[in-house]
Amino acid sequence: MEIRVLFFGVLAEVTHTMFKHYRDIASYSDLMFRIRDEFPEIIHYNYRIAVNSEMVNEDPELKNFDEVVFMPPFAGG
Amino acid sequence: MKIEENILNEGPVTQETISYWLSIMGKNKNLGGHSIFIGQVRDDVKGLKKVIAIEYSAYPEMAKKEAGNIKQEILKEFPDVKDLHILHSTGRVMAGEVSLMVLVSAGHRHQAIDACAKTVELIKGKLPVWKKEIFEDNSHEWVHENPA
Repeated sequence: MEIRVLFFGVLAEVTHTMFKHYRDIASYSDLMFRIRDEFPEIIHYNYRIAVNSEMVNEDPELKNFDEVVFMPPFAGG
Repeated sequence: MKIEENILNEGPVTQETISYWLSIMGKNKNLGGHSIFIGQVRDDVKGLKKVIAIEYSAYPEMAKKEAGNIKQEILKEFPDVKDLHILHSTGRVMAGEVSLMVLVSAGHRHQAIDACAKTVELIKGKLPVWKKEIFEDNSHEWVHENPA
């Protein structure tokens, strides 16, 4: 699968990017492995995941061209 | 009422923008009360450093969706509310400038006031917005208000 990944807030700073494309992704676990391998610092931060603008729990089923978003705790206002 | 609308405002929410919303809310003569919340950037001092601005970033697609969810939740809890507008800044907002406006119109005052307060709390907890405080020496610190 091809997956687009977005990083927001402090995570965009830590990864030095706001978005990345990953190809040949087999599953959510595979994607997480690739991201943690590329950006090992990310494990020190709290974040929630959204897929196509919807919050998801652990291990969601991904489809080709899904957008996976890494979101630190919200701080609006 | 339009449920999904763009609530993000690049830069500070200006007096002109606030005046615009205040000027149109009186057009519906069935309304008996309007409540407004204006959120302003504080010049907090952290250690020896003073905050001069806050830089906001947001996930626009989800912010639009969540703003719609917030409106629906408010309308369900406060049936007297007839109109609700939210404007939240993105980008840099200097200390003393406005970063958030919530304007609620209702038939009667109690629901206007309570719904406005509730909307602000929902925004804090549910809107995918992040902020970093910018200090006088141009260093910055991310603000983590709500645990993930």
